Amino acid sequence: MKRSVKNRHLAITLLVLPFLLVTGSNGFGQRNPDRELPLRELLNVPGKLVSEAKSSRPTTELKLSGYRVEEIKLPRQLNVELHGQQVAVDKAWRVTVQGGPFAVRAMPAVIWIDDQIVGNGIENETLSQITAITFDSSLIREGGVVSLSYGEDKEGRVRISQRLHLTREGGNQ
Amino acid sequence: MRTTIKNYLLTLLVFVLLVTAGVRTGLAQVPDPGTPGPLPVTREEYDFGDTAFQPSSFPGSVELRASIHYPTNLPAGPYPVILFLHGRHATCFKGGSQLLQWPCTNGAETIPSFQGYDYVSEVLASHGYVVVSVSANGVNAVDNSVFDLGALARGELMQKHLDILKTFNTTGGAPFGTRFVGKFDLTRVGTMGHSRGGEGVVRHYVLNNSLGAPYGIKAVFPLAPVDFNRFVVNNAALNVMLPYCDGDVSDLQGVHFYDDARYNVPGDTAPKHYELVMGANHNFYNTIWTPATSSFPGAANDWLAFVPGGHSDSQCGSVGGNQRLTAAQQRGTGLAYMTAFFRAYVGGETQFLPLLTGDAPPPPSAQTNKLFVSYHAPDVAGVRLDVNRLLNDTNLTINTLGAAATQTGLSPYELCGGPAPQPQRCIPDALNAQQPHTTPSARSPLRGLSQLKTGWNDLTGNYKNDLPAGLGNVSGYQAVQFRVSVNFADARNLAGLAQDFRVVLTDASGSSASVRVSDVSGALFFPPGEVRPVPKIVLNTVRVPLSAFSGVNLNAVRSVQFAFNERLQGGVLVTDVAFANSPQ
Repeated sequence: MKRSVKNRHLAITLLVLPFLLVTGSNGFGQRNPDRELPLRELLNVPGKLVSEAKSSRPTTELKLSGYRVEEIKLPRQLNVELHGQQVAVDKAWRVTVQGGPFAVRAMPAVIWIDDQIVGNGIENETLSQITAITFDSSLIREGGVVSLSYGEDKEGRVRISQRLHLTREGGNQ
Repeated sequence: MRTTIKNYLLTLLVFVLLVTAGVRTGLAQVPDPGTPGPLPVTREEYDFGDTAFQPSSFPGSVELRASIHYPTNLPAGPYPVILFLHGRHATCFKGGSQLLQWPCTNGAETIPSFQGYDYVSEVLASHGYVVVSVSANGVNAVDNSVFDLGALARGELMQKHLDILKTFNTTGGAPFGTRFVGKFDLTRVGTMGHSRGGEGVVRHYVLNNSLGAPYGIKAVFPLAPVDFNRFVVNNAALNVMLPYCDGDVSDLQGVHFYDDARYNVPGDTAPKHYELVMGANHNFYNTIWTPATSSFPGAANDWLAFVPGGHSDSQCGSVGGNQRLTAAQQRGTGLAYMTAFFRAYVGGETQFLPLLTGDAPPPPSAQTNKLFVSYHAPDVAGVRLDVNRLLNDTNLTINTLGAAATQTGLSPYELCGGPAPQPQRCIPDALNAQQPHTTPSARSPLRGLSQLKTGWNDLTGNYKNDLPAGLGNVSGYQAVQFRVSVNFADARNLAGLAQDFRVVLTDASGSSASVRVSDVSGALFFPPGEVRPVPKIVLNTVRVPLSAFSGVNLNAVRSVQFAFNERLQGGVLVTDVAFANSPQ
C-alpha cells in the first residue's frame, strides 16, 4: 500500500512540478498556454527512439498493439523531485502505447512500467496513441513491462507482452 | 335509502383506509416531479465560437456554446436557473470515427454532448425554470494534460456562462436581444454535472464562493462523477447519483463528495443526498452517449465496453436475467431525482423532499424502484442529532453525544476506511473499485469514510449507543437513521441473501420497542454481481420512523440498539447513527 501511494505521489510530482516551475502562480487571467505548459510541448518535440515494439495481434482488451519509448532533450533544465530528492534534469522519456481506437473516458489512462506509474496518459487526436512522460530514468529499464490501465487500477492493467529492449544509447545505461 | 346509507358507509370506510394508509406511508402526498408541467417550452442555442473562452493556465481554448430551455414567451419570471455540464467524451467525429481535437478540423464535425440532457431540461422548463446546458468539448480535448484533469477549467467555464446569462438578464445581448432582460433569477441557481462535469460543478461551486459568491448556487448535483481533487460542497444542497453498473467511473468515487461534506463545516445548513441506482451504467444518462438514441460515434454501453468479461455479470451484464435498466429507465431515474432535487432546493417546491430523504419511494417517472436513497440532514438543532458519527476509535466506546457505546458478541468491532491509524480499506482483499467509500483519489491523499466493521456469530450480537438523560428527548425527530451495507466479503453473509436485524429504542422507564430493518428498508441487500468491479460496498441510509416504536416514551429515550437477532450470523459496515428530520 505504501508503495502504491509513493508511486502516486511520484507521478503527481512529475506532472505538477514542471507545470508550477514554469507557470509561477495561478490566477484567472489569460495566459499564453504554449509558453507555460511544457507537458504538452513535450508531446511534440523530437525524441530519440529508445525502445519499440509492435505486434500484429493486438491485446484482446484495449487492443494494444505496441509501444514506443523515446528520450527527449528538454528545452531547458528543470528542477524536479525524484524519489524525495530535488534534482535538475535535462532529459525526459516519452512512453507511448499504440492501438485503439481508445475510448475517451472519465477515468484517465495510466501508463505503467512494471509496477510503477509512468504517468497519466494523454490521447492523440485520432485516439490511436496514449502518451505519458516521465523524468525518472530508472523506470526505463531493460526487460520492463509496459501496461495500461484506466485510473490507477493495478489489477486491471493490460500488458504488452514484448518487454523493453533498450537500444545501446537509450534508457538507464 | 338503505342502499344509499350502505354506499355512504362504504365510501367512508374507503376514505378512512386511504387516509390511514397515506399517513402511514406518506406516499399519497408526494407528486411526481418528473412529469411535464403546464408551460410550453422553447429551446434555443447560443454560440459565441469554438475558441471564445480561454480558461486560466489551460492549454486549449474552449467554446462558448450552450442550449437554453425556457418557458415559451417568458410569461412570468424571473425564473430560477439550472446549469448542466456534460462530462468527458470524444469531441469530434468524421464518418464513423471519433476524434479528440478542438476545434474540429479537416471536415470533422462536433459531437454535441451538451444536448444529451434535453430530456431533463424540457421538464424543468415546463415547470418554470430556465435550463442552460453548456458545451465543454474544448476542455475535454486537452484536460488530461493538466494536473487537476480539467476541474478548474470546467469551473471557470460554468462561471463564464453565468456571466453571459447575467448580461442577457441585465442589458441583454446577441443573439437574443433584450428577450431575457429581467427573466433570470441568478440568486437561485442549481448546477448538474455528469462524469468529469460532476467534479466540474463542485469545483465551480468552490470557485464561485472564492469570487465572493456573485451567483447564488443553491444546489449542486454531481451525476456519476469523478472526484480526483476532493473539493467539497458545504452550505448548498448536494445530491450525488451513483450508477451501480458504472463501467467507466467504476469505483463510484463520487460518493466522496457526500462523505467528505458531512461533518466538514459545523453548522452546515445544507442537506446532502445520494442515490445508488442499481442496474444503471455511466453513459445512458446522456442521450448523445447512448447507442440507442445517438447517431454519433463514441456512444457506448460502458459496462459492456470497458469491463473485461462484463457481459457475463448477472447484475450488470447482458446475460439472461440480468438486472440492467434500459436506457429509458435509466434516464427516468435521472429525470426523477434531478427534477425533485432542483425543484425542492432551487425552486422551493418542498413537496418533493420525501423523495430525497427516502421517505417516499421513487416516483413513476423514475421507471424503477431499484434504487437506494441516502440522506444526511442539515447540522441544525432540532433537525439532526448525531448519536455516533463513528469517526475515530473513541467512538467505539464513547459516542458523539458523550455517552457509552457498547457491544455484545460482535466480532470484529473496529473502524476502517478513515484517517490513519484506521486501515485504509475495509476489505483488504477486495479491489478499490469494490469499496467506493475508501477508493483513493488521483489528486488527493485524503482517506475515505470511517466505518464500523462488525459482525455477529449468534443471536446475542448487540450494538448499543446510550443517550445522556439531557439529550433523550427525540420526540421532535421523524426518524432514527444510519447508513449500512452488507459486507460481501464476510463469509457469515450468504451470497445473494439479504441480511436483517432490529433497531431497538429503550426509554428511561425501561420500555423498549424494536423495528426490523427489512420492514422499513431494502438496504440490507447482499451486493449483487460477480464480475469485478462488482459486488461493491455502498452504504445506504436506513430511516426508521420514530412513530414505529410504539410504547416508547420519545421524550426520554435512553438508548439506540442494533439487535442482531434476525439472522444467525452476519457482517455489516455501519456509520452515521443519528436522529433526523427532513430538511426544513
